[in-house]
Amino acid sequence: MTQLKQMAQEQKKSRSALMVSSFMIGASIIAQAWFIVLIVDHIFLNNGAFGETYFWLGGLLAALLTRALFTYVNGRTGMKMASHVKSDVRKKLLNKFSRNPLQASLKGQSGEKVSVLMDSVDEIDNYFRHYYPQMIQSSIVPLMLLIAVFWMNWVSGLILVITAPFIPIMMIVVGKNTQKKSEEQMEKLTVFSGRFLDILQGLSTLKFFGRAKEKKEDIRLSSLDYRDATMEVLKIAFLSSLMLEFISMLSISLVALEVGFRLVVYEQLTFFTAFFVLILVPEFFTSLKELGSAFHTGRGSMGAAKRVAAELEAEEHPVTWGDISLDTQETPPAISFRDLSFSYGGEALALNKLNSECEPYSEIAVVGKSGAGKTTLLNLIAGLVAPTEGEIIVNGRPLNTYKETDWYNQLSYISQNPYLFSGTIEENIILGKSGNVTRAEVEQAAEKAGIAEMISELRDGYETVIGEGGRGLSGGEKQRVALARAFLKEPTVILFDEPTVGLDLKTEQILQRSMKELGKSSTIITVAHRLHTIKNADQILFLENGGLTAAGTHKELLQESEAYSSMICVHQGGEAG
Amino acid sequence: MRETGMIMTLMLKERKDVLLSVLFGFLAGMGAVSVFANSGYLISKAAIMPPLYVLTVSIALLKLFSFTRALSKYAERYYSHRATFTILSNLRVHFFEKIEPLAPRIFQRYRSGDILSRIVGDVESLQNFFLRVFYPPIVMLIVFLATIAFTMYFSVYIGLILAAGLLLTGFLIPAMFAGKHWKIEGQVRERRGNLSVEATEFLYGFRDLKIHQKLEQQESKLIAASDHYISGQEKAGARMLFSQSINQGVTMAVSWLVLGASAYLVTVGELEGVFIAMLVMISLTVFENAVPMAAFPNHYEDSRHAAARLFSAVESDEKSEGEQAEQKGVILDRSEPWGILIDHVTFNYPGEDRAALKDVQLAIPAGSKTAVVGPSGSGKSTLLQLLLKVYRADTGNIHINGRPVTEIDEESLWMGTKALLQDQHFFYGTVRENLQLAGDGLTDDQMKEALAHVHLADFSLDDQVLEKGGNLSGGEKQRLAVARGLLKEGRLWLLDEPTSSVDVLTEKKIYDHLFKEAENDTVILVSHRLTGLEQMDRIIVMEQGKIVETGTYEELMAKQGYFYEMKQIEKSVFSA
Repeated sequence: MTQLKQMAQEQKKSRSALMVSSFMIGASIIAQAWFIVLIVDHIFLNNGAFGETYFWLGGLLAALLTRALFTYVNGRTGMKMASHVKSDVRKKLLNKFSRNPLQASLKGQSGEKVSVLMDSVDEIDNYFRHYYPQMIQSSIVPLMLLIAVFWMNWVSGLILVITAPFIPIMMIVVGKNTQKKSEEQMEKLTVFSGRFLDILQGLSTLKFFGRAKEKKEDIRLSSLDYRDATMEVLKIAFLSSLMLEFISMLSISLVALEVGFRLVVYEQLTFFTAFFVLILVPEFFTSLKELGSAFHTGRGSMGAAKRVAAELEAEEHPVTWGDISLDTQETPPAISFRDLSFSYGGEALALNKLNSECEPYSEIAVVGKSGAGKTTLLNLIAGLVAPTEGEIIVNGRPLNTYKETDWYNQLSYISQNPYLFSGTIEENIILGKSGNVTRAEVEQAAEKAGIAEMISELRDGYETVIGEGGRGLSGGEKQRVALARAFLKEPTVILFDEPTVGLDLKTEQILQRSMKELGKSSTIITVAHRLHTIKNADQILFLENGGLTAAGTHKELLQESEAYSSMICVHQGGEAG
Repeated sequence: MRETGMIMTLMLKERKDVLLSVLFGFLAGMGAVSVFANSGYLISKAAIMPPLYVLTVSIALLKLFSFTRALSKYAERYYSHRATFTILSNLRVHFFEKIEPLAPRIFQRYRSGDILSRIVGDVESLQNFFLRVFYPPIVMLIVFLATIAFTMYFSVYIGLILAAGLLLTGFLIPAMFAGKHWKIEGQVRERRGNLSVEATEFLYGFRDLKIHQKLEQQESKLIAASDHYISGQEKAGARMLFSQSINQGVTMAVSWLVLGASAYLVTVGELEGVFIAMLVMISLTVFENAVPMAAFPNHYEDSRHAAARLFSAVESDEKSEGEQAEQKGVILDRSEPWGILIDHVTFNYPGEDRAALKDVQLAIPAGSKTAVVGPSGSGKSTLLQLLLKVYRADTGNIHINGRPVTEIDEESLWMGTKALLQDQHFFYGTVRENLQLAGDGLTDDQMKEALAHVHLADFSLDDQVLEKGGNLSGGEKQRLAVARGLLKEGRLWLLDEPTSSVDVLTEKKIYDHLFKEAENDTVILVSHRLTGLEQMDRIIVMEQGKIVETGTYEELMAKQGYFYEMKQIEKSVFSA
């Protein structure tokens, strides 16, 4: 809860506002009691005239409305704090993700990150909206009430001081027990509560096995088991409120007894004091009890805050850029690797001292088993991660001395599973290009990528909405949209992660044709999974466990590298048999 | 309204717990009122020097009310929560009974797949119907009526003021705020959806955004969506808080009126002064019972919409399926293998413009072995689902064993089919429990033998399986599914890539066993891989919903057509 507390304390203004309004609530409670007692005392004991109470009645109304008003202000301030923190935390998270492409996109945990960005941030809400304002209020109001009681009648005050601490003690003891108990029941609870979903998800399977009807009883029993397990935990929680109730009741009765006897038997108190104390004491305990329930809601935020903090505190590996312009002539840049190494953290190097040259207009095929470092190499060239050691040299200078925009203007990356954004097909193709793009250019790119025909068959053509919530495209069609992006962008460096499974025949043909076409004006570095790509490559980089084992053309490697030729052999042999 | 009526019926099945909740709720509410009334009375009485026994009795009563209140509160919580969870169980069973006949179609209709979690979530939110919607107003009403009756005894006017307060805080104010609540909540949900889309695009599309230099643009879009969502949340929260504060303000104004009125009544001699404190204390306390009413509209709307969604999900299907269910179908003879005729079948998924199957024409003789191949999205799996009556063809018809599939009793069709479709479900439990689905009276030995045939001999029947088989690898799940299929009766085998995640060598061994078992049965095998198809009687090649080629392996290879090309590509793809 420390991170949350810190975030709260950073908002000094809201914090002061909460304190002021809490003080006003406390004051209005006291004033309310004061005026009530005054009026009752005046009418009842002094047999005063009704007309004399107007002023006090006015004062009472003001106190009551003040109390309602500042309760609202308190809640509203908490809400504002929550909004502020949530917005702030989301920005911080985004910032973190943008600075660390590796963290955001490469570890394959995007789903989890979306959940942190959405749910965890939302869950923080409760802390600021309920717990924090209540905590401030509960640390000010009871104290004020206590002082008021002490001031009027110190014996009652003493009773409160002695009995009140039992409430937090009880809460802690019971809280620990509940936690233990609910942890014990947790597994049971998740199983029972998940049973219904489990059965629904398997309903098709059950139907095909003719078993669906008999699951009804299963649902009933597991729901009842769930009820019983939950009730076990709840009973403790209810019992704890019962104990709290008893403590406060006992304390209130003690005070009542005390003021009653001192009023009647010893005649040490006036009716005024006794009644005043008797109104304030329950308010005192209510305020303490509210803290308990707020504490409960606030606790839920703790886990969320931890998840957010873990993301924010994760180690950074930012990619840096310089301000030298990269000559954006027609000619592709010369790229070479000097002792290029990369580690995802830990001992093992994903890439170990890679040295090689990529001539302009050449086709490079990166080959190796999965985990050999092929994708890491593409990510390094794309500037998505920074080398741990060594560097990528572009036109004689390290890549990180160039302007980021200049490099990305040269580059296209066609991945195995290109991402389609929600929007029209046209918008998705235009993604590749900055500046104004005409429909004719888009159509031309689509034509080259072999997807124009398919688009023309759609009712809305280029305006067809795809991506999230839109129309789904097949794997082959997505590849072709990615190709269209590249044709529109006309890059000089293309990174291509070849699909590992066969696509439909048409897409396969289009891919081959398109890469040939794109290769006329660019350098292509491919993580290759197809034999013809490898055979056609000007240079093959054969990676094993992050190291460059051999480099050269297919023919050269077949002669020079035993590992390479055995890999090719196994592949072809496996097919034959 | 009809929906909530249904929920009400389900709820009232738990009459005893419901009554106990109301009873103890009433006692707890009355207990609180009594405690404060009594202490107000006590202190006033004490001020005028009564005989000591009056005080002693009052104090004893005070204790009694205190304990009654605390214990009743405990009992109320206990019984109301117990009732809630029992009602949840009834709800689940009820909806299961409704959904069960509609499966598997209903899940296909909502292809998004989250329909299930939505149903589960909606059912769960309906449990609040009792706890937050149904019984609090009842308790509130009874407590108020009793309190008003009590105060009437002292002064009619005070009673009337309290009644007016009840009307305002319990009914009018909540009703005033009820209408717009749902609209605002809807807005918040929409904005959340928006943010979720932006966040997903940001993280999943990160690389494409980065390389195309659209990251910053997306980032600012995301921040805008986030702020929009947060301001919506705040607006909804502020509205809620405002309605609560208005309620609180009115409550206080009522207590103020009670005090003023009783003071006035005392001065004019219509009320004894000793009762003022008591009446004020009553007024300050009794409105605590109206507090839950501020949240009532929200819960009411939530429940109503959850119920409406649930009923619409199960009912729109009920109608269309109703016609089918009426004509009890033909029972197929399960002792012989079936032949299948697919007669010019065309099929569109609802809401999509391109046909998933276009004029498919195919005859599969009884006992033959057919493979269906083609790229993903070519309609292979759709074909199997049509055979199983999961979908109905738009035009054309399917005949199984000479009978149109529309006339066949679907249960008998499923009982006679070993269907290994994709996404085979495994339930939380043991391996044994999951295998036992396949048939009654299966012995451990039979199950162990089946496991051995799919190369899972190292699995013990007592091994734990998590929900959806979460603790098994893709290959293990597929092999376990095959084992379950082997144990099931049926002479029509519909296999949808049953071993796509199993290594080639093991796959071959499993297939060898499968085809030995299925020697005299009809088999349709959907396959992405083109290996091991040499022994099939016929291979069907599909693309974009159409059959583009048919023939035996040799015929297709000799023809050098589509299949041959696909085979060439497969050969050239490295899986290393």
